[in-house]
Amino acid sequence: MKSVMTGNQAIARGFWEAGGRLAASYPGSPTVEMLESLKDYDEIYSEFSVNEKVALEVAMGASFYGARAMASMKHVGVNIAADPLMTFTQTKINGGFVLVSGDDPGMASSQNEQDNRMFGKFANMGILYPGNSQEAKDYMKIALEMSENFQMPMLLDITSRVCHSRSMVDTGTRVEKEISGFSPDREKYTMLPPHTFKPQHEMKERMEKLSETAYDIPINQLFEKEGTDTLIVTSGLMYYNLLELDPDVSIYKLGMVYPLSERRMRELADKYSKIIVLEEMMPFIENELTLLGIPCRGKDLFSFTGELHIEDIGKGLEKVGIIEGSEELEAPRVQTVPRPPMFCAGCPHRPVFDVLKKAKVRVIGDIGCYSMAALDQWDASDIMISMGASVGITKGMNKMMRRNGDQAPLVSVIGDGTFFHSGMTGFVNLLHQMDEDDNMTFIILENSTTAMTGGQHNASSGNFTQTDDMKVDVEAMLRAIGFTNVRKVDQFDYKAMKEAVKEETGRNGTSVIITTRPCALRFKIREKNFYVDPKVCIGCRTCVKTNCPPIRMKEYQGIDKLKSFIDPDMCVGCSVCAQVCPVGAIKRSQ
Amino acid sequence: MKNIMVAGVGGQGLVLATKIMAEAALKAGLDVKTNDVVGLSQRGGMVWGSARIGKEVHSPNIPVGEADILLGMEPLEALRWKGLLRKGAIVVINEKRTYPSSVLLEQAEYPEKEIGDLEQDYVVIRVDAVREAKEAGNIKAANTVVLGILARHMDIDREVWEEVLLENVPPKAMDANIKAFNIGYEYQ
Ligand SMILES: Cc1ncc(C[n+]2csc(CCOP(=O)(O)OP(=O)(O)O)c2C)c(N)n1
Ligand code: SF4
Ligand code: SF4
Repeated sequence: MKSVMTGNQAIARGFWEAGGRLAASYPGSPTVEMLESLKDYDEIYSEFSVNEKVALEVAMGASFYGARAMASMKHVGVNIAADPLMTFTQTKINGGFVLVSGDDPGMASSQNEQDNRMFGKFANMGILYPGNSQEAKDYMKIALEMSENFQMPMLLDITSRVCHSRSMVDTGTRVEKEISGFSPDREKYTMLPPHTFKPQHEMKERMEKLSETAYDIPINQLFEKEGTDTLIVTSGLMYYNLLELDPDVSIYKLGMVYPLSERRMRELADKYSKIIVLEEMMPFIENELTLLGIPCRGKDLFSFTGELHIEDIGKGLEKVGIIEGSEELEAPRVQTVPRPPMFCAGCPHRPVFDVLKKAKVRVIGDIGCYSMAALDQWDASDIMISMGASVGITKGMNKMMRRNGDQAPLVSVIGDGTFFHSGMTGFVNLLHQMDEDDNMTFIILENSTTAMTGGQHNASSGNFTQTDDMKVDVEAMLRAIGFTNVRKVDQFDYKAMKEAVKEETGRNGTSVIITTRPCALRFKIREKNFYVDPKVCIGCRTCVKTNCPPIRMKEYQGIDKLKSFIDPDMCVGCSVCAQVCPVGAIKRSQ
Repeated sequence: MKNIMVAGVGGQGLVLATKIMAEAALKAGLDVKTNDVVGLSQRGGMVWGSARIGKEVHSPNIPVGEADILLGMEPLEALRWKGLLRKGAIVVINEKRTYPSSVLLEQAEYPEKEIGDLEQDYVVIRVDAVREAKEAGNIKAANTVVLGILARHMDIDREVWEEVLLENVPPKAMDANIKAFNIGYEYQ
């Protein structure tokens, strides 16, 4: 049957059709929807684990027990999972194992642009690289087969555009795969020396064998045209973008981008005098060819960063005369007023940053919806690196500030999702070598969800909503590990929030403030809206500066000065703007 | 081949709009590829989606200068994607303005003039989709009004659109959505 699916849905479907049994993931764009789609298949145990490392380990456990397993994550998630991955890959895979990495050329929603094909090679994995939904589904099945045949974990590397793009897919039925069970074998599964010596050779041998099959596996496709001396080597979406230009060249499309078949590449190099590699991000295939001593061009024609659109490919090919006179094109997007993201109406993070901004303290940020505090309209957060990093960074900066005679307080914000993901260990580390002149205030934004990635559960969501089963009590946990100065604050009580920040930053020590309001979007919170009484409003703009989408200045009939206005359709009634108004001009509607 | 671009503000539900287009194409026996923006921009930032529908579609990306129809779910967002349009393209503009941060903070002006000028080069259809949706009985059906206008300009049967629409909205919103679709389809 034909259906339209996104790449993410197609991967889930492929895993199901191939008899997959266990899937684990951690949410992150562009792969979130993969696991969400897998939830529809009863035969598969699936979970969003607490972080990517745990997700990978959960999937490893299933594979050791002879069940087909997958772990999916965003590209930077593989960094978190790298430790188990780099050793797991030395074992002889039992149940087929596929790691799905969602790469993000152009960084539409990521903090970096790392090309995880490098990771695949580093971890001695074969790498498949789909370009549309049909391929996403097919390659998942092929990857599981390869994983079992060559006893190696496989990497299915997919770019964000392919994850989110919909296209036609032929769906099939599920083929059950038996779970073979676990037979203890220390040589295979216990990676202690001396058992680690042999795997080094085995990894090399299995890769050589896989590269022999690369010579003629059907997913490496050669499309030859008569009378051309040029071959473009490409893969994934780039192949389909290239077809739009219909160039007069032969094309070698790699479904498996690593390992390459040396024999095939040499044959092609003998036949074609010009070889061009078309790939997004790093010169990966280009480097592989260069290592084989095959001259080729690539990154001198196409950018090493960002997405390559049809126009970018056209421009690159024009430089070598393959395409002619592609006219000067307009930019697809015109220069006009930008529209950066904003905290939702009623977002629980808003009052926290309004208070911090006014307190003029140094704020170390982390990753989540609250990262938006770093945008120009807030300018209320100064550093953001990777999930959980805020905790250690704050400690290190605090130590150096004090030794440097700088007594200014330091504030650090972290979401509950990020706290569980990788912040907790940093908190334990705070208890080591505490000094009297430390002045650190950690704000844990407990909005009961992993909001940024679409509102998945996290380890304390169950305290707020019955649909989730984990009810970790963050305050009790922190007290249990040894924090004494921990307090909870309802941040929609603006004064209380302000007081808490003032008190904690005003004294030395290490303190924790846990804010308690849930995410307005995820939990669809909507109360009676607020409105501005223009006769009372003095036009001071204090409310406008809370930067809530419905609030702006407006001309009222019969009043000269601009006065504040709240769009009633958009306001969800959190009351924050009313609390910052110095003259009580903002009231709740009846 | 028809190239359709949808532009709007995070939270407006564009992903469902491109899904409906894709499923309508499938039912009509055509090939289709769509794009969507997923991630940080969904928090009130600029978001867009696209659908390419025809006999055989290679890339999901609309080549610059080849978009046939632009559905601007917000006027500024319609303006932003002008460069993608072919000459004489159809631009549907939902009149409800959602002001970006810099406009709310009075650091920039909303580009009313440039939005008005779109009429010089394109066939502009203006609609207050939010008001029409309220009329149909559900304020959330604004996108459906715009999809109705789109349907009018596509070679896919009206019934196909209605069928797909019903498959994609919750039961209690069905009536309002069909009404909203019809308002769009008949919109002058
Ligand atoms: C290693 C890694 N995995 C996943 C992500 C994707 N991601 C971005 S923010 C975020 C978590 C946000 O949750 P939380 O800290 O609770 O903040 P909220 O968005 O709810 O405010 C995730 C998982 C990432 N950036 N890095
Ligand atoms: S999704 Fe939730 S946490 Fe994120 S900006 Fe909106 S209300 Fe705030
Ligand atoms: S009460 Fe004020 S701050 Fe809260 S959602 Fe409404 S306009 Fe925004």
